[in-house]
Amino acid sequence: MEDRIKEALKEIVGADNYTEQLIDMVSYSYDASEHHHRPTCGVWATTVEQISRILEMANRERIPVIPRGAGTGLSGMAVPARGGIVLDLNHMNRILQISIEDRLAIVQPGVVYADLERALAQHGFFFPPDPASGKVATLGGNVATNAGGVKGAKYGTTRDYVLGLQVVLPDGRVMRTGSHAMKSVSGYDLTRLFVGSEGTLGVVTEIILKINPKPTATSTSMATFDNLEDAGRAVSQIMHSGIIPSVLEILGRDTIRAINQNTDLNLPEVDAMLLAETDGYTQAETEYQMSKIMDIFRDNHPQQVQQAQSEAEAASLWKARKSAYAVLARIKTHFVLEDVTVPIGNVAALLKGVEEIAARHEIQIATFGHAGDGNLHPQILYDGYDPAEVKKMEAATADLFRLAIDLKGTLTGEHGIGLAKAPYMTLEHDAAAMEAMRNIKKLFDPNNILNPGKMALEG
Amino acid sequence: MRDKYDFEIKYRDQILKCSRCGFCQAVCPVYGSTLRPACNARGKMLILKEVMDGHIDLNDELIDTLFQCTTCANCYQNCPSGVNVPEIIKQVRKDMVHIGSCHPAFTGMNEVLQAHDNIYAEDEPEDFERERNKQARYVYFIGCVGGYREDESTLATLDLLDRLSVDYTLIDEVCCSGVLEDVGFQINPRLVQLNIERILTTGAEAVITGCPYCFRTFNNKEQYAPLKEKGVSIIHISQFLKNVAMDVTTDLRVTYHDPCDLGRHCGIYEEPRGTIRKIAPNFVEMRHHHADALCCGAGGGVRGAFAKNSIAMARRRLEEAEEIEADVVLTECNSCVHNLSNAKLRKQKFKVCTTTAFINELMDER
Repeated sequence: MEDRIKEALKEIVGADNYTEQLIDMVSYSYDASEHHHRPTCGVWATTVEQISRILEMANRERIPVIPRGAGTGLSGMAVPARGGIVLDLNHMNRILQISIEDRLAIVQPGVVYADLERALAQHGFFFPPDPASGKVATLGGNVATNAGGVKGAKYGTTRDYVLGLQVVLPDGRVMRTGSHAMKSVSGYDLTRLFVGSEGTLGVVTEIILKINPKPTATSTSMATFDNLEDAGRAVSQIMHSGIIPSVLEILGRDTIRAINQNTDLNLPEVDAMLLAETDGYTQAETEYQMSKIMDIFRDNHPQQVQQAQSEAEAASLWKARKSAYAVLARIKTHFVLEDVTVPIGNVAALLKGVEEIAARHEIQIATFGHAGDGNLHPQILYDGYDPAEVKKMEAATADLFRLAIDLKGTLTGEHGIGLAKAPYMTLEHDAAAMEAMRNIKKLFDPNNILNPGKMALEG
Repeated sequence: MRDKYDFEIKYRDQILKCSRCGFCQAVCPVYGSTLRPACNARGKMLILKEVMDGHIDLNDELIDTLFQCTTCANCYQNCPSGVNVPEIIKQVRKDMVHIGSCHPAFTGMNEVLQAHDNIYAEDEPEDFERERNKQARYVYFIGCVGGYREDESTLATLDLLDRLSVDYTLIDEVCCSGVLEDVGFQINPRLVQLNIERILTTGAEAVITGCPYCFRTFNNKEQYAPLKEKGVSIIHISQFLKNVAMDVTTDLRVTYHDPCDLGRHCGIYEEPRGTIRKIAPNFVEMRHHHADALCCGAGGGVRGAFAKNSIAMARRRLEEAEEIEADVVLTECNSCVHNLSNAKLRKQKFKVCTTTAFINELMDER
């Protein structure tokens, strides 16, 4: 990058908010995936005007710009695959407005999910899509990824809550989409186009979010099944029952075994464990819903069914699910955490298929995830310094994606395509759909400066 | 091919287990005050991974992150992969010093302790108007910050011990020098020897430390093992006070700041709270407390080397005291008192002091 461009960046954001120091460049090379590539420089932007000027210049000079939140993504989405300028948005971290009567909150992209949650809790409200990384992930990142969370079954994902955006386009123009209103069918839905666009179309600088009153009561239960099919049938029957659990999670056999080998939780080593939570505004309401769910558990040959009688007991039931990620993260030096998603009726088939893939490639894959919305997290564990294991991981990943598509599902339910799944885009999307996406990219970003190399948009 | 650094030999597997999830970013005090991801635990582990992979080498360019860690251990507490970042950082700093790369403030600290007996290079210690090196049941070990920077706090603690008729003595103490291990150097044998001799000469059955860091050093560093071998136990003042009846109370709204060295590093959370609840029924926790407590920003050599950021970390902690409208912020560490007091804004009307100093003040008022 030429010195005059570096000087121009310093002039825009101030010398203190510009970096090309080695430690920052290493840090900005990574996200939570196995992908990495160095940028040329980084800037800590604080205003829309600065971002507009940066993009206008980068567009003119054909320099890649990679918007970045907390960098907790699992698909390489924030990795500067072609170098360029990392646009760190964490300094734009103000909650601009909370309007309870309008049921909305307006935030800057660098606001951390947990900070919004805390601010809303004071009003008895919440923003439901709660990614596991919510303590650290930023809302700008959540919008770029269309992040989900454990409550997806009942409450949907980020996309269902974004009413409007302020976006800086690659040529520097500032665009507003959507409105402050609960409903709008005015023109094309540009808001939804930008949610989940992975920073490839524009830089989100302001987000209008719909918020919900926070349910005050919950009930929690757990069931274990010797046969995966029984657990799968239980999930399907819950969907038929008319009850929508606020959380319905599943742990597969390999995950349970790994937890037992690494903790003192002593879980029964069964094919599957289901954990359910119902929520509402009175205990009677949540208990009624939970009783229906537990009846279904009992009808499907469980080894054990247990309902929490207190908050402490609920926490202890959740311990297994909550420890899964940490336990699996410690087993090998590397892992890939996938998020394939299938129709809810195919969850058992997906779990079975993952076990077969693991056996076929002789690699450890532990699965857990959100049975309530069909989104599972097969975690492939391997040694990244062993080329043979890397090969197995890659082969297993490819099989896993084919399996998800065969089961009428999708490559990714909540982590996004980024770099990791870009080679598989055509597996899911036909030629016409790919062409439409590539044309949309060209429309907004004809010079391909925004987060280039992601989502197979250049094919 | 270069020789492996000690940090690789000892911690390679742990460093590689960092899954880059970024959960440390939510709790890292350095990140919290700088919003610079290169400085949180993930940023540091990535640097070390790249060193191990041969992409970069240890050098001065890395000082801003590898020497900017308060070793508060909040990252370790929250790491799903169990990466013990503070221990790794301490080892890397030693490797850095070995190749001649070090923050000048840290080099200075080591040089000071070669030539002097305390980290402030002050050769005339405060005598606190008390006889030293007596025969007594307890030695009260003040620590450098309490002895040379927060002497009023120390004087109040000593007054309290007198009021409680505790049979103690001060000694001609020297720096425990444990901090040198944190900043890339080795504990200083000369200073260790002086402390051990002077403690043992008193015939004391226990050393009561005012400083949580000295407490950790005496308890955990093998160089101080002779103390325990001679039957001398090491207790922190908060442990000593937990069973002592206090016949004073206050209506003020009191909160407690957990020092990292006492809390996350030693698991001592309840003894101070037990004492405070006895004297302050109107006790209230800050947003982050116990194992989640925010660091005051002083530890790991950061106060000396990165003063501006250290104060910014203390300000974040004080905002939490303001949030709960506390009248008094108590803590059990003079280093925390020192940094928090320095960072306190004029509009923040609450008082910051040690529990012992506060109890003594209540007794004065009675």
